[in-house]
Amino acid sequence: MSRVEVDRDRCVGSGTCEVLAPAVFEVDDDGVLAVLREPAEDELPDVRDAVQACPTRALALAD
Amino acid sequence: MSVDAVAGPPPIELDGIDLSDRDFWVRPPAERHAVFDLLRRERPFAFFAEPLVPMLEPGPGYYAVTRYADLDAISSQPAVFCSGEGAVSITDIPADLNEFYGSLISMDDPRHAKIRRIVSKVFTPRMLEQLVGSVQQIVEDVLDAARAKAEAGDGNIDVVADIAAPIPLRVICDMMGVPAEDRPLILAMSNIVLSGGDPELVENQDDPLTAFLEAGMTLAGVMERLAAERLERPTEDLTTALVRSEVDGERLSHAEIASFFILLLVAGNETTRNAISQGILALSEHPEQRARWMADPSLTRTAVEEIVRWTSPVTWMRRTATQDGELNGFRFRAGDKFLLFYAAANRDPAVFADPHVFDLTRDPNPHVGFGGHGPHFCLGAHLARREIAVTFQTLFERLPDLEVTGEPDRLRSSFVNGIKRLPARLTGAR
Repeated sequence: MSRVEVDRDRCVGSGTCEVLAPAVFEVDDDGVLAVLREPAEDELPDVRDAVQACPTRALALAD
Repeated sequence: MSVDAVAGPPPIELDGIDLSDRDFWVRPPAERHAVFDLLRRERPFAFFAEPLVPMLEPGPGYYAVTRYADLDAISSQPAVFCSGEGAVSITDIPADLNEFYGSLISMDDPRHAKIRRIVSKVFTPRMLEQLVGSVQQIVEDVLDAARAKAEAGDGNIDVVADIAAPIPLRVICDMMGVPAEDRPLILAMSNIVLSGGDPELVENQDDPLTAFLEAGMTLAGVMERLAAERLERPTEDLTTALVRSEVDGERLSHAEIASFFILLLVAGNETTRNAISQGILALSEHPEQRARWMADPSLTRTAVEEIVRWTSPVTWMRRTATQDGELNGFRFRAGDKFLLFYAAANRDPAVFADPHVFDLTRDPNPHVGFGGHGPHFCLGAHLARREIAVTFQTLFERLPDLEVTGEPDRLRSSFVNGIKRLPARLTGAR
C-alpha cells in the first residue's frame, strides 16, 4: 500500500494538496497539514497530482 | 488558438537592453517579451545597474533571471538565496522599512515559518470555501453596478475602475473587516505603495520615498485602529483571528500585524485586479478563446491558470545570495542580487509549448505566476483563483456584451504588470 510522506520543514500549509485530494489531505485549524488516511487505490491519481503540485515540494508517495 | 501579431519587429540590440529603464515597462507586452526571449536565450544571467531612487544609495546592481529552471532553482533554495535582504525593492532600503513593507515576503526562516503558520490558518481551502458565496455576491453587485453606470451614461465603462479594482478590494476588505467608509482610502494608498513611482500616482517625482512612507503610515493607522477594536469586540473576521493568534505562546506584535495588513491589502488588491483587467484584455484580443470559454464553463480551471501565466501580475521578486556558489554553471558571490522575472519564466519554451500562444486549455500549466517552488509561494493563490474564476463566469452571464474599445493605460512599474485604465462599452446598453 502506498504511503504519503510529509516533510514538515518544507510544508507551509498552502493547502494545494487539499484542493486536489480532499479525502486524504486537510490543513487543520492550526494551519498544519494533516494526512487523514493513507490513500486508497482509486485515490492514487489525485494524490499523485497533489504530490506533483505541492508548491514547496513537501510531499512524497512511498510504495 | 492564436498568435499575437508580430509584424516585423525591429531587431533588438542585446547591449542596448536596460531593465532598469522605467520606460521599458510601459512598452506593449509583445515588445517586452521579445526582450525577455533574447535575454533568456543569449544572456540568462544578464547584469544591470540598479534604477536610481532619489534619497537612496544605489547598490551594486542585479542579475536578471529569465530562464524557468534557474528561477525555480533559486526559489527552492531559500537558505542560499534569501528574502530577508529585501524581496520587493531592488535597492536596499533600511532594515526596519524593509520588514514593515515586506512583511512575510521579505523574511526568512525561522521567523517566516512561524508567522506564515499563523496566517495560513485563515487562508486554508476550507476557510475560503466559506467565502465562495460572498465572492459570488460581491462580483454580482460590482457587475450590476457597472451595467447601471453604462445604462445611465453613454454605455461606456472603465474595466479597471468599474470591474477589476472593486472586486478584490471588496473581497479583501470584507475578509479583514475594513469598514466601507475606509475603503476608498485603502485603495488610494495601496495604489501608491505599489505605484513603482508612476508619475500619475506619485506627484513629487523628486521624493517618491516620502509618498510611499506616508501611504504606508496611513494604512497602518487604519489597521491599528481596527486591531484595537477587534481586541475589545471580537468578530468573525481575519483581523480578529490575527490579533488573537499565538505561535509557540507568542502573539504577533502590533507592528507585525500592521505590516501584515499592508501586505494583504496591497497584495490582495493589486495582483488580482491586474489578472482580471488583463484577462479581459486578453480575451478581447483572442475572441475565439473567449467564445470557447463562454460556451464551455468546464474550461474554467485551466483558463484561470492561463490568465495568471499570461499576465504574470507580479513581474519579479528579489533574492540575495547568502554565500558564494554555482547555479546551473553560473558562479555567484555572497551578496549578489537576483531578480526572478516570473513574466519571463512563464514564456520559457523549455517548459511551455508555444509560450506566446494564449491557450485557455493549456494543461499541464506549471506557471510561476504565484511564485516558484519554495516557502514564499503566494499565500493568496486559492483566493485569487477563486476570484478570477467567479469574475469571468459571472461576467459571461451578466456582461456578455462587454467590448474593449481602446488601448490600456499602463502603469510605469517594473514590479507590477499593471494597467490603470481600460476603456470598454456595453453594447447592449441604451
